[in-house]
Amino acid sequence: MNAILTLVIAGVGLGVGYFYYAKNINKNVFQPDDQKATPAKMYMDGVDFTPAGKNVLFGYQFKSIAALGPIGGPIVAAQWGWLPGLLWIILGTFFIGWVQDYASIIVPMRSDGDTFGALSYKLISPRARGILLVFIYLYLLLIMGAFGQVIGINFLSNPSVPVGVLTVILMGLLAGQMTYKMKQDIILTTVITVVVAFIGIWIGTLPAVSSAFTGLNDALGANGKKYFWSIIFAIICYLGAVLPIWRWAQPTNYVSFWVIALGMAGGVIGMLIWNLQGGANFGDFPAFTGWTVAGLGPLWPILFVTIACGAISGWHSLVSSSGTARQIEKESDALPVGGGAMWMEMVLAVISLLTATAATGGWDAYLEAYSGGKFGVFAVGLANFLSHVGIPTTFGQPYGMVFLTIMGLTICYLVVRFMRVASAELLGGAVPALKNMHVGAIVALILSLIVIWTGVWQTIWVLFGGANQMMASLALLIITLWLMKNGKKYAWTLWPCVFMYITTIAALVYTAFWKALPAISAGTKVTGNIIAIVVAIVLIICALILGYDGLQALNRYRKGEVAPAAK
Amino acid sequence: MQTHARERIKEKIHHAAHVAGQILYGMTVFDWKRGLRQQRGEIERLFILITFGDLVGLPILPPYYTLRLLPYTVPAINRWKRSLLRERDLTDLAELIEGVD
Repeated sequence: MNAILTLVIAGVGLGVGYFYYAKNINKNVFQPDDQKATPAKMYMDGVDFTPAGKNVLFGYQFKSIAALGPIGGPIVAAQWGWLPGLLWIILGTFFIGWVQDYASIIVPMRSDGDTFGALSYKLISPRARGILLVFIYLYLLLIMGAFGQVIGINFLSNPSVPVGVLTVILMGLLAGQMTYKMKQDIILTTVITVVVAFIGIWIGTLPAVSSAFTGLNDALGANGKKYFWSIIFAIICYLGAVLPIWRWAQPTNYVSFWVIALGMAGGVIGMLIWNLQGGANFGDFPAFTGWTVAGLGPLWPILFVTIACGAISGWHSLVSSSGTARQIEKESDALPVGGGAMWMEMVLAVISLLTATAATGGWDAYLEAYSGGKFGVFAVGLANFLSHVGIPTTFGQPYGMVFLTIMGLTICYLVVRFMRVASAELLGGAVPALKNMHVGAIVALILSLIVIWTGVWQTIWVLFGGANQMMASLALLIITLWLMKNGKKYAWTLWPCVFMYITTIAALVYTAFWKALPAISAGTKVTGNIIAIVVAIVLIICALILGYDGLQALNRYRKGEVAPAAK
Repeated sequence: MQTHARERIKEKIHHAAHVAGQILYGMTVFDWKRGLRQQRGEIERLFILITFGDLVGLPILPPYYTLRLLPYTVPAINRWKRSLLRERDLTDLAELIEGVD
């Protein structure tokens, strides 16, 4: 097996899935009509509803859904061998992933631009909206835990990384200043900031610079290093969460985009060149290592939550319904935008799997890189690919880590921003202090640091996937109910919903009672495992309530009662 | 015949470049432009609220000279009312977090 063959298999999946299955569903079930006015046109208010072209929206949707998830999941799941992960990525996208993303645009579009919060309230039950908010809050907290451990503990503490990350952030601030205050041309701004960002990344790899951080890390010791760098991570997130979005988050994301996009493009070109030279083979990387992986668990259900994004991700439904669905100009654009972006994310997940398999060159190399810091496998793989376009691995590897760090950071400070707004909205009445943005952000960061410092990374990752997949089954349930209500075929969304629901509950039960509980009995990471059990139990209870309400709603719509549950 | 084929290829290349440009725009500065548009929309919404808020039951006494704005406001009234009174929840903010997955 090699890289190009894997990409060809993924391409065949994409071709059949998009051009046959998806187009067929689009034509026969939703029957888009470009003569109908979409909410973006009908309610154009310049705030929430504004029409945009399909190509622009495709770019927007892809950027909104694709980040560390499709990169991290396949790397972790490669522990079962390359085959299970590859099959789940392709088949998951084929039968479930695009279905959810596409329908999450078209259903809100046909429901006056309602978000999934409003739709769950109307179609399932009033409390379903509350449950969705619980899923969202826990999901975001777990993201902070999972990404925070990787970024704060593994990457930032790498001596070659901090200068590069700091330069990218400073260049982001400069980009904001140049655009909004100095009114400079965007191309000039981009060239200056991106070039300086790359120079900063390179300076960070110089022995004279990195040795200073090595000295700092040695002085801090193992524990001190962990706390110091995770607090630096928290400070960056705090600034990103409380400063105006134009000053920090938006321009930093912009500069980061170029650093990431150029790395990905270089990596893919390097992979193709390497493959044509006869390399980029899987070597002794096994197709299948066994049904159970130590530290993770059994293939079913754990693989299906380990790779969430890249195959199916509930978060996409929220982004699609609240953002993209309100900008669709023509009904027929929903498939290329929603479905197309999901299929592209599948390709990204496959490339990530290739960095773990073809790029590392074998099983032992993968295990060694994985033990050095989970997503670090991606940095090693990317550096190997980039070495075939003439970029030395001494630069490529730290670049890969800076790439992943800024990718994670740009997400985390937006997550903290959301968490502070969520806590102000949900608890601001009872605890007025939470309405203060600084207090809200600090509370969110303290909770995150507790998860980062105490948690077991693989457990947090599985729970993060579990919360995400629960949102996916909720989204699929809403879509199914909408289809039933409107007298359309619904089996193609109902069965994926049932599969995701059962699989996710099984994964949460396994993680809580077969992994975290025995770990507590053995006295390993007691606080982190107690938190994991509590989170898993809350998610399971919410899922059971949701399942009950969902069944009631299904029966209601099957009997032909079309009145919404909410009063 | 050959010229025609060359023209078609040229046209296709132009089209592909245009599509690629639009996708890149969607991934990069579209968000900035959208953010600015949203800010302007919110200020406009607020302006109409303080001048014609009585239309939605806000107890304000519109000054006489707001009548001069009426011709400009009338076409936007329905859109403004819907935008202002639309029920919102936290899921409306989900799009704030891009690239979470």
